[in-house]
Amino acid sequence: MKLEKTVLGMIAGVAALYAQSTPPDFSGVYYPIAPFGRFQGGPAAGAAGQSQSPRQAPPARPTASAPLSDGSRGRTPDEPSLTPEYMAKWEEISKTRIAGSSEYDLTAKCLPPGMPAMMSMAYGMEVMQNKDKITFFSELNDALRRVYLDGRKPSQKVLDDPTYAGYSTGRWEGDTLVVDTVALRDNTFIEGFTPHSDAITVHERIRRKEPGLLEDRITVSDPKALTKPWETVKTYRKASREKGNDELREFACAEGLSEAK
Amino acid sequence: MMVRTIACCVTVGAALLLTPLAQAHHSNSAFYVTKIITIKGVVKEFRWSNPHVWVILTVDDGKGNKVEWKAEGRPPGILARAGWTPKSLQPGETVTIDLSPAKDDSASGLIARVTKEDGTILANAPPPTE
Repeated sequence: MKLEKTVLGMIAGVAALYAQSTPPDFSGVYYPIAPFGRFQGGPAAGAAGQSQSPRQAPPARPTASAPLSDGSRGRTPDEPSLTPEYMAKWEEISKTRIAGSSEYDLTAKCLPPGMPAMMSMAYGMEVMQNKDKITFFSELNDALRRVYLDGRKPSQKVLDDPTYAGYSTGRWEGDTLVVDTVALRDNTFIEGFTPHSDAITVHERIRRKEPGLLEDRITVSDPKALTKPWETVKTYRKASREKGNDELREFACAEGLSEAK
Repeated sequence: MMVRTIACCVTVGAALLLTPLAQAHHSNSAFYVTKIITIKGVVKEFRWSNPHVWVILTVDDGKGNKVEWKAEGRPPGILARAGWTPKSLQPGETVTIDLSPAKDDSASGLIARVTKEDGTILANAPPPTE
């Protein structure tokens, strides 16, 4: 009897250890829910579903091509709260966009969308994971970010060399992946076209919210640009072979640049 | 409004012929994305290219003039998931395009959707994931 208890206890202990040491696997292709944010311009422009009911009344005409703001509508209360210096920068960026310029648009120049804005993943995301690293690929501009899970920390060399995706390290807290990102260039965006300083850091808590849904709770801190940390939640739905949407396509942005010559 | 737009674009369109897709890649800020106009014309060229597809269209402006429009679509990846293929449009076919006009008043715009003569609609996005 005593032996049975001991064996059962050992099994339970091993199971618990195993559970701790095998984090969930987030690998797969995902698409964001509400990829372009809240859309208030009427029915989505020519939503594909409309073409599948040809015998019904003609589909409504689209009212907008894309629900992306060029800044002409101002800022909403749920957007990052900027210090006066960075609000002035945002207004300058908006002016150029309202005028039709791509001057501040990284992706229009085939540059990486950059963290943390890239996590909007408007055109889809592929997650590749192993024990030591998790990699996020963005179809938009074929951009990558790597999150090291092997315990390494950003060195001074890394901190002195900011990049678009920044330098990310992560650890598992149960089933949640906790990621910290530093060493970001100051010309990426928090979201949309909201600027930030070189003091920006990004903290993320990524978990499987329910089967097939990945959630990224993002907290952006920037004492120079933000009056308080800004939080947002992105949710992505997993693609599948059955749905026929589990293959991202190459973006090859520079092809468009070379055509412009 | 349409007549005015087309009239103003005849000369601009001619200039554009000399600069092949001069703005091959730019942000949506180049377009009035909350406005939609509708043009109908004959496909001259359908370019399935990165990072944006292009439909070059010959449009009759109602005054005996043929105006060449350049309609820019979203990336091949997202359009493929919306049902497009590199053969979705053929030169010579007539299509109706809902698009957001360019801010620079050129005969160009960002595609909201394309309607083929048989009524088939090519949308600019896959069905919502929700």
